[in-house]
Amino acid sequence: MRWACILFPQLALDAVLRTRADSDAPLVLLSGPTQRRVLQTMNSAARELGLRPGQSLTAAQAITNTFAMAEYDPAEIERWHQFLAAWAYRFSSHVSLHYPRAVLMEVQSSYSLFGPWPRFESLLRKELTELGFQHRIVVAPNAAAARALVNCHDGLAVDEAQLQKMLAQHPVDRLGLERSAAIAFSRMGIRNLEQILRLPRDSIARRFSKEVLMHIDTLLGARQLALACYAPPDYFDSRIELNFEVESHQALLFPLRRLTADLAAYLAGRDSGVQRFTLHMEHRDREDTLLPIGLLNTEREATMLFELVRGRLEQVQLPEPVLALRLIARDLPVFVPERRELFSERAHQSLPWEQLRERLRARLGDDAVTGLHIQADHRPERAWQTSNEIAQVASPTNQRLRPAWLLDEPVISEFAGSQILAGPERIESGWWDGGDIRRDYYLLRTQSGQLAWAYRPVGDSGPLMLHGWFA
Amino acid sequence: MTGYAELHCLSNFSFQRGASSALELFERARAHGYRALAITDECTLAGIVRAWQAARQTGVPLIVGSEMRVEAGPKLVLLAENLIGYQNLCRLVTVARRRAPKGEYRLQRSDFDESLTGLLALWIPEQQPDAEMGRWLKQHFADRLWLSVELHRGPDDARRLDQLLALAESLDIPAVATGDVHMHARGRRALQDTMTAIRHHCTVADAGQHLFPNGERHLRSPPVLSELYPAALLAETLRIAERCTFDLGQLRYQYPRELVPEGQTAASWLRTLTEEGMCWRWPEGAPDKVLQQIETELELITEMHYESYFLTVHDIVRFARSRHILCQGRGSAANSAVCFALGITEIDPSRMNMLFERFISRERNEPPDIDVDFEHDRREEVIQYVFNRYGRRRAALTAVASSYRGAGAIRDVAKALGLPPDQISALADCCGKWSSKVPSGERLREAGFDPANPVLHRVLTLTGELVGFPRHLSQHPGGFVISEQPLETLVPVENAAMDDRTIIQWDKDDLDAVGLLKVDILALGMLSALRRAFDLLRLHRGRDLTLATIPAEDKATYEMISRADTVGVFQIESRAQMAMLPRLKPRTFYDLVIEVAIVRPGPIVGDMVHPYLRRRNGEEPVTYPSEALRQVFERTLGVPLFQEQVMELAIVAAGYTPGEADQLRRSMAAWKRLGGLEPHQKRLTEGMLARGYTREFAERIFEQIKGFGNYGFPESHAASFALLTYASCWLKCHEPAAFICALINSWPMGFYSPDQLLQDARRHDIETFPVDARNSEWDCTLEPGRGGELAIRLGLRMVRGFREEDAQRITCARANKVFSDTTDLIQRCRLDNRARELLADAGALRGLAGHRHKARWAVAGVEPQLPLFAGQPATEEKGIVLPLPQVDEDIHADYATTGTTLGPHPLSLLRRQLKNRRCRSSKELKKMEHGRPVVVAGLVTGRQKPSTASGVIFVTLEDEYGMINVVVWHDLGERQRRELVGSRLMQVKGRLETEKGVIHVIAHHLTDLTPMLDGLDVRSRDFH
Repeated sequence: MRWACILFPQLALDAVLRTRADSDAPLVLLSGPTQRRVLQTMNSAARELGLRPGQSLTAAQAITNTFAMAEYDPAEIERWHQFLAAWAYRFSSHVSLHYPRAVLMEVQSSYSLFGPWPRFESLLRKELTELGFQHRIVVAPNAAAARALVNCHDGLAVDEAQLQKMLAQHPVDRLGLERSAAIAFSRMGIRNLEQILRLPRDSIARRFSKEVLMHIDTLLGARQLALACYAPPDYFDSRIELNFEVESHQALLFPLRRLTADLAAYLAGRDSGVQRFTLHMEHRDREDTLLPIGLLNTEREATMLFELVRGRLEQVQLPEPVLALRLIARDLPVFVPERRELFSERAHQSLPWEQLRERLRARLGDDAVTGLHIQADHRPERAWQTSNEIAQVASPTNQRLRPAWLLDEPVISEFAGSQILAGPERIESGWWDGGDIRRDYYLLRTQSGQLAWAYRPVGDSGPLMLHGWFA
Repeated sequence: MTGYAELHCLSNFSFQRGASSALELFERARAHGYRALAITDECTLAGIVRAWQAARQTGVPLIVGSEMRVEAGPKLVLLAENLIGYQNLCRLVTVARRRAPKGEYRLQRSDFDESLTGLLALWIPEQQPDAEMGRWLKQHFADRLWLSVELHRGPDDARRLDQLLALAESLDIPAVATGDVHMHARGRRALQDTMTAIRHHCTVADAGQHLFPNGERHLRSPPVLSELYPAALLAETLRIAERCTFDLGQLRYQYPRELVPEGQTAASWLRTLTEEGMCWRWPEGAPDKVLQQIETELELITEMHYESYFLTVHDIVRFARSRHILCQGRGSAANSAVCFALGITEIDPSRMNMLFERFISRERNEPPDIDVDFEHDRREEVIQYVFNRYGRRRAALTAVASSYRGAGAIRDVAKALGLPPDQISALADCCGKWSSKVPSGERLREAGFDPANPVLHRVLTLTGELVGFPRHLSQHPGGFVISEQPLETLVPVENAAMDDRTIIQWDKDDLDAVGLLKVDILALGMLSALRRAFDLLRLHRGRDLTLATIPAEDKATYEMISRADTVGVFQIESRAQMAMLPRLKPRTFYDLVIEVAIVRPGPIVGDMVHPYLRRRNGEEPVTYPSEALRQVFERTLGVPLFQEQVMELAIVAAGYTPGEADQLRRSMAAWKRLGGLEPHQKRLTEGMLARGYTREFAERIFEQIKGFGNYGFPESHAASFALLTYASCWLKCHEPAAFICALINSWPMGFYSPDQLLQDARRHDIETFPVDARNSEWDCTLEPGRGGELAIRLGLRMVRGFREEDAQRITCARANKVFSDTTDLIQRCRLDNRARELLADAGALRGLAGHRHKARWAVAGVEPQLPLFAGQPATEEKGIVLPLPQVDEDIHADYATTGTTLGPHPLSLLRRQLKNRRCRSSKELKKMEHGRPVVVAGLVTGRQKPSTASGVIFVTLEDEYGMINVVVWHDLGERQRRELVGSRLMQVKGRLETEKGVIHVIAHHLTDLTPMLDGLDVRSRDFH
């Protein structure tokens, strides 16, 4: 076996840099609470400015102001770690994320596919460089040794015969020992593995935890390292190549039905639903036409999924004939089935609300159907808001009298002969977003007996503005 | 309309609720012609003294009250009708506050079963009033209960009014109009909303229903009120206001009486104690001058009835003395012959020729002011003594009403307006740390903000309004109020953040206004160090010294001070002070008093330093603007240096009365914060012109007064400090080993690290022995050195992270039997892994196990002792060879473990390399002439940016021979920020400036040589 260890010395940084056009500009990643922001890491341009990891942001800003900042996000790093493992999985079926910031892969069994080591190595390096990840690679007969050696080397490949010699000169603090053991060795004046090996084994056993000798044995290949193998993630990605160039929507429906059915089956299998997915329509000479589909709730019923996509597909203008369809669904939340009463009172003919809603949206467009939110704001026009999510509608907490029909725009109205039933109710609020209002509201009964809600700006004596009607 | 009195009004002492100060409220109330204004902060009287002052200023009567919510009961406002009512209110607030954690209160229904005499209650009904609450209140308050009708242009005020009037009628409770006022004017609506959001820890946008729907909760004009309320409800406010006759001026404070024995009066007892003290201070009889002074002082004290105050302070000091806790009083009253006789202070009045003008002023009726400093680490004993002696009901700490400063205000406001955290921090950084100003547009643009942006504009406007508002009450460091009666009959008492501490709700200024006396029990690190030094001298020299008996006016000591050889001493050890010493060359105690006071921002900003120096060195004639002012300024050669002199000047030259002069002193201290010096400018200038002084002189004097600002130093404080300075200098001069040893054992304190103190000790040829488990105790100790002189043995406290208990076990075990080897040490002292590794790494086992590497190997091999093999030597391990530590490894380890090294200074190892770079050492600099170009290098031990020097940064470098002072001008600092801030080893190219023994290098170019150190742990002490 030959294990390659690929170390990503600045994984966090690369993850941020690859999203930036100016990757050579000074950049630092920050961590720590707001009161005490600390420089976690930085690129070499920022280092040139004199910035160092561990510096407080205040100290750094005392030196210079000319650097960009981003958050050091462990979750993001983990995501990219997974991404790199998925990438490595293409080259080897033995991939492990045993060590942070590093990917281990067994390479020997892949030589037949990707060529012998130096060639294989340059292939890996080329791809990693293109992906934008700085890396160091070492190959050794065992994973632990590869990981230790990559601390000090890059491009090294050792076999069993060379291993001991390479490790002997390896500094004690780079061996991958527990920190306390590494410190203890260095405080005893011991600088490399060779010096450790010269000490009597039982003297070491007496002074250090048993993990120390075990680790040294593992490095030298006398013990096996138990590695958890990487398994690829699950998401749905299915593609159907069409036999001919399709120009009509009608002809797309058949493959589409298959894709949605596959998706539904897949969702059922893993007991999840889907809330967002994308239909790619591939063309010969231009980029894919994308049809993103977002649902208000998670769904997984085949017919409904198909109906949904069809409703929207019909509104799409195809710029070119379609060669293939591809459906990708990554967002696969747990499916919560709707509750059904044992004795349903719903008439058989009527559509359930969810389906009606989806059908309305599919037909009228997403913007035509919205949810309603109560917003705690004294300004009537902000007291409720529409949104794309359908949430549980909470009953309004304030017990003030408010009309159910609020006009989009208040209008100047004559209320001749109307009777003031209540008011003025003064509302002064909203200065913080530039939408400050100062109004005196009145509840009026018009001549025709309707209940109107109207206001006049505070201190104004002009006509009343009609703002809403009570039911 | 007949008039209106507002009976329900919050000031900004209802923290994060009231959006106006008491003064703003009273001024508005006066403008509207209100007949009275009640301040009813929520379960607190913390703001009531300020309200009282505002009431007196505006002539609108104050009604003292408080709004509170009863648990499972109604919300109500209580108003104090008379003194009894006030005392009952204080009691209720105290009970509710003491029951809850700091900042909260819990008022229970059962609290109303106690006496409520003298309290009027206004019931604030809920939206849906609960008649049961009304009945319950009626039971307790009978005809002293009203139903508050508060109309704020809600959805249907008419219906609300009808509803409440019906309720009042059905319960037979009279109704009254009140306003639930949260601000003086509608314009504070935005601030009030912001404070609400701050209180609820959310943004204004998310605060929703927490916000008031409109800005009606302000002091509304009478016409508006008439429109809203029936006249009867408004008239009722006046009936209530007329009943409330209580005034804070009726409070009478009494000193504790138990200090005077049976059959004595306070005056006779003070005289007895003073006379006893005189026999102790002057065994051969006091000089006539002193006798006379004491007579005068006693007379004045008796006349002003301050005997009990002096007896109280004396009692505390006597306790400290009985526990060998070193202390010293300071303040105007402290520097009196009586205080010296009572042992409150240590300055022998016969030793100094100094006028104590501010002792106590007859005319001003100003309460005496004595602060007592105690040893830093033993002050708690004194505080507990006071609590025990007078009981917790009669003694409490004063509060400090912390107010919003720029950075804090902008932080809270920006958060409430929903700015992201990074921007909030950046904005806060734009405000200086202690500045109360809103940052300037320029400063904001520099930090990348656009001041014209509407959001930022809102943040800045609101910040401007919020700055200066109180934000919470905290505990004064040591101001005690002690009273004969329980304190809660004077002022509510509440819990402090610290366990076992209670504070009253008033701060220092409030106390002055109401005539309460406080004693400041403060902590001073130098006193701990001095006491330790005295203890060491008693042990090793058999010499029993005290602050008062240290030989006075010692020539050698003053010579040492004039050489600026003052590392470690009190007050004059800073770089600025050291630069001044060779120019001032103190020769007498009074010179030290001046030295302590002169190197301060006040005199520096007021440009008093150079005139004084020139006059002292005879480079400029000493003149006085008039013969009358000669009296005032003679002791400072015609240059005003002390607060007292400014006051005298105002009296002598501008015709101030002593009372007005005291006003001036207070304005001087506060003008930066509050402004208000302008009336004095006019008054001073006119007064001086009228008395024949030139306009130019008057203007210069005024500028100097402004420069004094916050920093003006009273002569009386300077004198007390100077005594500690002298004592510490004398010790450094004559008993340096004991002094340094005591300083290190009292660390952290002062300006220098133990490493710097030890280097200074070695430069003075004091031997130092390393930490050694065979000899060291927890503290550093003295032992005979090789030359017979006392040498310093480093204590185990120097080993970073080592625990005192472990050290104690080592000392005990060693006293039984010396340690035979490492195993013996570890097993007998039961040292855990951490402790033994620390000892090994610190080199403290060199005598038992050899060098560090061997020691670490040895301690790791010590196994837990099995009972069966007790006493058996451990199995030998043969043939193990560990490398010898290199010199640089040892230095690294020394610094990492003990923060200092007794081996070669790191720079001595680098000296050859530095020579190659043509760097001069600090020793060579002393022989070079002024103006030469020079290259130096050293460890950066300090970077200082004094507020008085515009943009200049003072860098202190250290090499193996001493310190080098580097001046970095603003431009260079900006250009080479990276080197300036980032270097631990710095090379400076520049020009040498030497003047009267003061050496500076003016930097032209900085180079970062840190890589040469490679991991050496030298911690720079930065002062920003």
